[in-house]
Amino acid sequence: MKKKKSMLMLLSAMMIVTLGLSACSGNNGGNNEPSPAASNAGASEKPSEAPPEEEEPTEITIMLPLNIAETPPDTIKTELEKLTNTKLTYQFFPADTYEEKLNASFATGALPQVTYLKNQATFIRFKEAIRDNQFWEIGPYLGEFENLSKMKESILNNTKVDGKLYSLYIGRPLARQGLIYRKDWADNLGLSAPQTTEDLFAMAKAFTEDDPDKDGNDNTVGLADRNDLIYGAFKTLSSFFGTPNNFGVKDGQILPEFMFPEYIETMDYMKSLRDAGYMNQDFAATSKTDQVNLFQSGEAGLYIGSMQDVNSLYNNLVKNVPTAEVATHNKIVKPGGTFGIWAIPGYNNVVLFPKSAIKDEAELKKILAFFDKMMTPEVANLMYWGIEGTHYSVVEGQAKASDDSDKVEREVKGYKDSVIGEPETNGQLQGFHDLQARIDAEKFIIENEAAAIHDPTAPLDSVTFTEQGQELQKIITDATYQYMYGQLDKAGFEKAVETWKERGGQKIIDEFTAAYNASK
Amino acid sequence: MELTAEPQIAPPKSKTSSELKKRIWKNKLLYVMAIPGILFFILFKYVPMYGLVISLQDFKPYEGISGSDWVGFEHFKRLFTEPEFLNILTNTLILFGMNLIFFFPIPIILALMLNEVRIAIFKRLVQTLVYIPHFMSWVIIVSISYVMLTMDGGIINELIAKFGGEKVNFLLSPEWFRPMYIVQVIWREAGWGTIIYLAAIAAIDPGLYEAARIDGAGRFRQIWHITLPAIRSVIIVLLILKIGDVLELGFEHVYLLLNSMNRGVGEIIDTYVYTAGLQQGQFSYSTAIGFFKSFIGLILVMAANWLAKRMGEEGVY
Repeated sequence: MKKKKSMLMLLSAMMIVTLGLSACSGNNGGNNEPSPAASNAGASEKPSEAPPEEEEPTEITIMLPLNIAETPPDTIKTELEKLTNTKLTYQFFPADTYEEKLNASFATGALPQVTYLKNQATFIRFKEAIRDNQFWEIGPYLGEFENLSKMKESILNNTKVDGKLYSLYIGRPLARQGLIYRKDWADNLGLSAPQTTEDLFAMAKAFTEDDPDKDGNDNTVGLADRNDLIYGAFKTLSSFFGTPNNFGVKDGQILPEFMFPEYIETMDYMKSLRDAGYMNQDFAATSKTDQVNLFQSGEAGLYIGSMQDVNSLYNNLVKNVPTAEVATHNKIVKPGGTFGIWAIPGYNNVVLFPKSAIKDEAELKKILAFFDKMMTPEVANLMYWGIEGTHYSVVEGQAKASDDSDKVEREVKGYKDSVIGEPETNGQLQGFHDLQARIDAEKFIIENEAAAIHDPTAPLDSVTFTEQGQELQKIITDATYQYMYGQLDKAGFEKAVETWKERGGQKIIDEFTAAYNASK
Repeated sequence: MELTAEPQIAPPKSKTSSELKKRIWKNKLLYVMAIPGILFFILFKYVPMYGLVISLQDFKPYEGISGSDWVGFEHFKRLFTEPEFLNILTNTLILFGMNLIFFFPIPIILALMLNEVRIAIFKRLVQTLVYIPHFMSWVIIVSISYVMLTMDGGIINELIAKFGGEKVNFLLSPEWFRPMYIVQVIWREAGWGTIIYLAAIAAIDPGLYEAARIDGAGRFRQIWHITLPAIRSVIIVLLILKIGDVLELGFEHVYLLLNSMNRGVGEIIDTYVYTAGLQQGQFSYSTAIGFFKSFIGLILVMAANWLAKRMGEEGVY
């Protein structure tokens, strides 16, 4: 009896040990093995039958971020292969963890021939590797391709590394930021579009307190924001206050935005909005999904961000509140200020060509030829809008997306975000819109260009910024939230700025200033 | 054959080795069964350890381990002089301590309680209900908490407000981070943790209880004098293993809870490794941190094991 018991004991102990150990192995955040989720390759690997052609189709493997949940089906890919005489393998990875995947693939030399990055910040971080000669310099070849040579010189300049071009860019309008608000609420309360930041504040207040939906319940809030200081409301608001974009020039020095008084003003503004309860209280922990839900459920009435979001916001909002109306607006200034809006450097992502995957010039040229074809209206439209008649129709010379937006999103969105150039250069159709707010938005986006606040450091370089910029930014991001939540006062925030300077920020300032003066 | 080998006169050393061979031969099936496990450890635990050398290098992915420059203990120096380091280590240790004090005893208590339940169906129902959360991912647990705790219409804050209280900023305040963490851990893992204890309790000889009852011991006496001593070694083994996991506080869980407001108390070694290593591509530095973490874990396990042995228990090795 006794023996049996101790045997049982031993067995259970062994089981525990193995359980414990296997649990350990599951959570090794520290090592470089790609996580199982990251190593699952794109699902669209099945090559489709290419029609017999004289020239062998070029085989190209492409890695890119995916902004929707599901990997798109092969509908578009099959057409694309026919048009470009290629055999494509698309490896889609979720955008949320794309940087991780990039780093892991890069570390193991597994980047495919065509590698999309995620955004400008990733690009900045890859500069070191680019300088280390890991990617093909494509500048000299562009001239050989009729369509590629149409790409905008000014934007190409923004993407150069040490004066050499390594990448193709995915073009985006300079400044899409602005305000989206509930027009029906404003009308109910007799408010017009806000002209100043004070009007905006008053609107948030009225939307919260004056029962804008007239249902007799205190169930509304002004602004819906999220935990993103850049693409959320904060940066756009800071532009309204006249804060520079990332860096500004003051007394011949390049200083970061948070050393300007306008940045503090913006924080104060957000703080008073939150303290008064005119925005969602937990915005520092709110995801984009939750933020969007606040607006779409008819709870919040203001959304500050990309004005192009208005379509999806509106479409989902009317499902909940059939009588809802929305409008967009851009020109908001602080009293006595002039209108300005932060701008991106004309692109939101780039494509790189790793040397580890592309063996020689001939192969590179074949791949560039594919991108050259992507810059023709036929291919650009296919990738951006889908198949005519299925995903879009042409109305008045513009592309009108099909009403089945789920289908369009599922089948086209994955490819849409990878089209290089912009409508002016790749000849893709402009979008047709029937929602007034969106038509306005497109108009405002063009207006914004004239008032764009550019980042003076976009064409400049700072080694410290490349290496530590992001890590240091965390200090400021945390301090900014803490200030807005009242955990830090002005002195505390300034102390955080000092910390930033000490840990390498001062070097960033010096390096950028030197580069700035040298470029003048 | 074996028998003929036995009587040979040989120096003691070779005698023991031949004895060893014999024993291995005798238990050959057991050894064969162990092969997959051994292979697993070699392939997935020992071979990757080679990668640890990059913590002593200025590792450049495209150069590989052989091509990167050696920098000695540079990364460790950086780690120990990093102003954030002390804070991160303290956070990690505090969360670990809380885990040990608040979480560890709960499955034991729960198992003892379940063991006393008489109606079998009720017992099984409760048992199933308390382990269901284990099968939900942290993302779900954290999202549920978010929905319940948010100040923008979360049910708990609404209740507090209804009873005239001041809304509490659970999600964004440093004070609430740790309680929130530990409650979530208990919620998800407590039920699961009872399985092993229940198994150990089931193995106790019922005769002991009968004898105790005849001697007039009540329920609490029985628990105290029979159940607890009987599962003591299981508790000790689990405790030692738990201590080995010191720094495994659940990266995913903490990462999901982190935000700008609670980073001061919430950043632990794992999340720091993730941001520094995978997001910012500082492979060598994050390997150094991971190395350091495992090292602390090893020391703690050895200490705990030593302590267990001194207290007359068996320990894990």
